[in-house]
Amino acid sequence: MKRLAFALLVLVALPPLAAAQVSRAPAAPAGGIGAPRSQPLSGAELDARTNDIGALLRCPVCQGLSVADSPSSMARNMKTEVRDKLAAGYDQEQILASFERSYGEFVRLDPPMRGVNWLVWLGPLAGLVAGGAAVAWALKRSSRNAAAEATDPASAPSDLPSRDTLPADARLAGAVRRARELAYGWPDGIPPKPRSSAS
Amino acid sequence: MATTPVPGAAPVRASRMNPWVLAAGLAVVVPLLAILVLNLGRDPHSVRSPLIGRPAPAFSLPPVGGGAPISLESLRGRPVVINFWATWCVPCFEEHAALTAAARTFREAQFLGVVYEDEELKTQAFLAERGSSYPSLMDADGRTAIAFGVFGVPETFFIDGSGRIVEKYVGPMDRRTIAELIARAKGGAP
Repeated sequence: MKRLAFALLVLVALPPLAAAQVSRAPAAPAGGIGAPRSQPLSGAELDARTNDIGALLRCPVCQGLSVADSPSSMARNMKTEVRDKLAAGYDQEQILASFERSYGEFVRLDPPMRGVNWLVWLGPLAGLVAGGAAVAWALKRSSRNAAAEATDPASAPSDLPSRDTLPADARLAGAVRRARELAYGWPDGIPPKPRSSAS
Repeated sequence: MATTPVPGAAPVRASRMNPWVLAAGLAVVVPLLAILVLNLGRDPHSVRSPLIGRPAPAFSLPPVGGGAPISLESLRGRPVVINFWATWCVPCFEEHAALTAAARTFREAQFLGVVYEDEELKTQAFLAERGSSYPSLMDADGRTAIAFGVFGVPETFFIDGSGRIVEKYVGPMDRRTIAELIARAKGGAP
């Protein structure tokens, strides 16, 4: 969710920023990503942004590691390239796009929000909503069933003999009633009326 | 009141699987399992290069052992075979002989090696020992490998006369493969 929110924020915030800065962009275009759209960075900010963008890039020679996290020389080279591009004034989206041109979408750790990728972003959310709806529906149905049983105990299907059941044989029935009278204290072996059959 | 058991007070209901719940569960689980099974044998890194059909990234790199840098630009007009390799890569040994022979046979194409994450001295020693019929270039900061989207070595790019990447081959090549792909790179020439 945090990622989604962040990505939405970036998506909403980037185009106006880019539009505002595109007017003053002299340096030579590199790798088909156009002229730099941002301000050249340096110092601590450059280090921080290099790391931020490195965390969004997949190290191609690793197993599921980001460029920022990988100690491999390939990742080191990629980090150097990110750094150089930031220092030249390219923005995050331009830098990610430049790597995507060579490695494909694979290189982005967060799948960009387009085409079937929407499934990845919205799938879990849709699953949550659908699951919640299913649980709510099941709860509602079971409580409705319980209410129906409470008002009409006869409707409750059961294979077990109820406490009113008596054998057909008259002598046996008499014995059962006597036994019930002894065991439960029911006068004449007849069970009292249920107070609440749902409990 | 003493504990009076109430026989049969709570009706016991047989729990039966709701067929709709079962169907919904299967509808979710079966496709996921199918995707898993179908992709178990797949290398997650074997993505088709987005560069195929596109202009090859420009570079200008010095040959191993020094000398004037060679740029891709300067080779326009003829097919170019760019082989990313390293001395620490065992499949590259196997391929080296085939590439050396192919470079002698297919003189219409320019073969280039690009050394991937290796030291110049080791590379020089390797080439001195095994011989080569085409230049190998040093890509010291790995920039060219990154621009070509190299995942590992050996990887070979076939570029036509207009500088467009026709095919990328991952893994060691034999002579037949090289011949086929050069033919395709020639077909694409203007």
